Amino acid sequence: MKSAAVPTVFIIDDDRGMRQAIHDLVESVGLRAESFATGEEFLGTRHTGRPSCLVLDVRLPQMSGLDFQRQLAETGMQIPIIFVTAHGDIPMSVRALKSGAVEFLTKPFRDQDLLDAIQQALHRDETAQEQQAEIHDLQERYHALTAREREVMTLVVSGKLNKQIASEIGASEATVKVHRGHVMHKMRAASVVDLVRMADKLKLPPRK
Amino acid sequence: MLAELSKDLLESKARLEEAQRVAHVGHWEWDLETNVVVWSDETYRIFGLNPQEHPMDLATVRSMVHPEDREPLYQGVDQDLVAGERPNAEFRIVRPSGEVRTVSSLTSERWSSLPGDTKRDASGRPYKLFGTIQDITERKRAEEALKQSQFYLSEGQRLAHMGSWAFNDSGHYWSEELYRIYGLDPQNGAPTVEQYLALIHPQDRASMAETINRMQEEHCGFDQIERIIRPDGQLRYVRAVAVPVVEQGVFKGFIGTTMDVTEQELLTQELRREQAYLAEAQSLTHTGSWACNLLTREIFHSSDENARLYGFDPSQGAIPFDRFYNAILAEDEVALRARLENAIREGADYDVGFRIRRTDGALRFLRGIGHHNPSQEIGEYVGITMDITERKRAEEEREKLRQLEADLAHINRVNMMGELAAALAHEIRQPIAASVTSANACLRWLARDPPDLERARAAAARIEQDGNRAADVISRLRSFYKKGTPPEREMVDIKEIVREMAALLRKEAVQHSIKIHSELDENVPNVLADRVQLQQVFMNLMLNAIEAMKDTGGKLTISSRSTPQGQVTVSIGDTGVGLPAENTERIFDAFHTTKPQGTGMGLAITRSIVEAHGGRVWGTANQDAGATFHFTLPAKAEADA
Repeated sequence: MKSAAVPTVFIIDDDRGMRQAIHDLVESVGLRAESFATGEEFLGTRHTGRPSCLVLDVRLPQMSGLDFQRQLAETGMQIPIIFVTAHGDIPMSVRALKSGAVEFLTKPFRDQDLLDAIQQALHRDETAQEQQAEIHDLQERYHALTAREREVMTLVVSGKLNKQIASEIGASEATVKVHRGHVMHKMRAASVVDLVRMADKLKLPPRK
Repeated sequence: MLAELSKDLLESKARLEEAQRVAHVGHWEWDLETNVVVWSDETYRIFGLNPQEHPMDLATVRSMVHPEDREPLYQGVDQDLVAGERPNAEFRIVRPSGEVRTVSSLTSERWSSLPGDTKRDASGRPYKLFGTIQDITERKRAEEALKQSQFYLSEGQRLAHMGSWAFNDSGHYWSEELYRIYGLDPQNGAPTVEQYLALIHPQDRASMAETINRMQEEHCGFDQIERIIRPDGQLRYVRAVAVPVVEQGVFKGFIGTTMDVTEQELLTQELRREQAYLAEAQSLTHTGSWACNLLTREIFHSSDENARLYGFDPSQGAIPFDRFYNAILAEDEVALRARLENAIREGADYDVGFRIRRTDGALRFLRGIGHHNPSQEIGEYVGITMDITERKRAEEEREKLRQLEADLAHINRVNMMGELAAALAHEIRQPIAASVTSANACLRWLARDPPDLERARAAAARIEQDGNRAADVISRLRSFYKKGTPPEREMVDIKEIVREMAALLRKEAVQHSIKIHSELDENVPNVLADRVQLQQVFMNLMLNAIEAMKDTGGKLTISSRSTPQGQVTVSIGDTGVGLPAENTERIFDAFHTTKPQGTGMGLAITRSIVEAHGGRVWGTANQDAGATFHFTLPAKAEADA
């Protein structure tokens, strides 16, 4: 389910001149831009457009950009962040990048550096979004399984043979074969290897 | 027979003559009827005449009597004769040699029994007198001498307030002065033992009674001071000394003296009290007093506290000079000796500090002050020694604190400048970054096909805005000292500020072997200025100068003078690394620094302050070494600014 919407670049900078300049630059390359003076303003707005990224000033009036980054992560909002700062130092940039920032730019920066970072961020967001969509799809299929089928699937991806599964769940080998067929069909798995990959993505706990 | 008789007579006469000569006694016979006197040979000799050479007569005798005695003698004789008594007299005669002799003339009782000497007139008046005359000059002199010595003795006793006494078989004798000392009447005679003890102060009475007892039983003397209470109620201190008298192994009694020592005793007590106070004061202040000869190393006086300062026990007796001296730390001794030798040579006083190792191992700081009196021997000093360890430690603590404060102030200053620079960097970087980005956007709008001129124009407008914003920030910085702080102008004495700053930076200067030297013109007028800002200017320029010389040491010179234009020029010169060869003007720009730890703001702020005061600041290279920074201030600062 790929989004056809124009990618959106969110900008948070308390300096109006800077905010407008980045906003304008983003629009000049045909991207959508939304800018905010504070983190709260940003959080207060519904933004559904995907893919997207955030250009964030390190020094914000209420809280630092780094703290805001942590707050976003805590609320489960996954958005690639590009930091810009007028007075960055190396420890600060290391911290930002370790926390998952795409780039850390010092003002004034080359426009191409920012646009490259934005492209990279959007790409990352797109990938993340695709992965998320795939997981969502798998989860739906998984939820369609009966309890017995989920049990069988867990044992299959654990590498158990039909005979072993049968003795474990207290059923005949023939019954196990029927359940296994349902699982492969419902999960749309082409092979056991395919099913193992799906279980991995679903983060199903393996069983001994 | 007659011849024999005559011979006997002659012999007897000769014997008489000899006896008279030996005893210095002559005789005479005076016939009152004829008024003729016959003198024996010895009488002649007593008068200093040759016997029978020219017969003496009464006139001769009269003329030889001492003029002072003459009248009383003859009057007395006449009265005696008239009264029918024997005229006896003592009088002085003057010999022809001028010698004065004292003679005693006695008239015989038995004159009537002498041959041819029985005649009296009708009234019983004798016609003839017989008598002797004796030379008593020696006896008289001895008597005079005795009298004199007795007078001297009693006068001496009176003057010395010393009485004497004797106690033996023949009685109990008290001298006059002794009565006076005890306030007793000599008429009543010497007191009994009981009477005497009653005079003793009750607190001393028992011990005195015992002393007297022992003295009587053991025949031993004593020497003690006791208090007495005179009958008039006065309390006196007396020193009584008794000595037993033993003649040829036999005890004869006691003699003794008693002296009124009240004044001495009170003085002694006062002295003891003073000494106690002094000792207490010395112990409280850890100050010892002493007097010694530093050359001969002879100590004349050393107070107990003086010994205790070194950890010596004063009760162990005199401590030799070397024990004191050897306590001095070897590293201090050399300098101390030089100071003392110098003082001794010049006969000057000294005031020195040194450290000692006390006997208990403790390290103490002492201060010694010695005073030399020109009338004293060379090397002789009196003085005091003080233990200043605590004060020294407190001073060191204070100094450490002061240093810490200075360091903090320095760090603060650097930090403050760092903060300021960072803030300014952020402030300026923001609009510049915005305009760079806007310029990029502008170019991109223009690069479109077709170019979006509307958006490009908007971007260009923002570039202008941001450019102005950057300029504003810079203006704010420049006006920081003009409008940023309200001016607090007062009349400021530049000399005073120089003194303050020199004191503040002295430690730092000394550390880097830099001498601060000021040549301040006394006639420079006060300037109207913000004192704190002016201090900052001095601080910046002086710190820069110190910084420039910190590896080499050198001299920091501050001079001031007034110019004919009514300005005050201050110059701060160093002998350090000097100015950079190029861009001499740029050194005043903000953030321009040649020092790794520098903020690049010192000179910029300095210029800002000086210009705000209507002055000018510039730097010049010195001819030989280093640089000099000058600034001018109007003697009367501009009204605005």
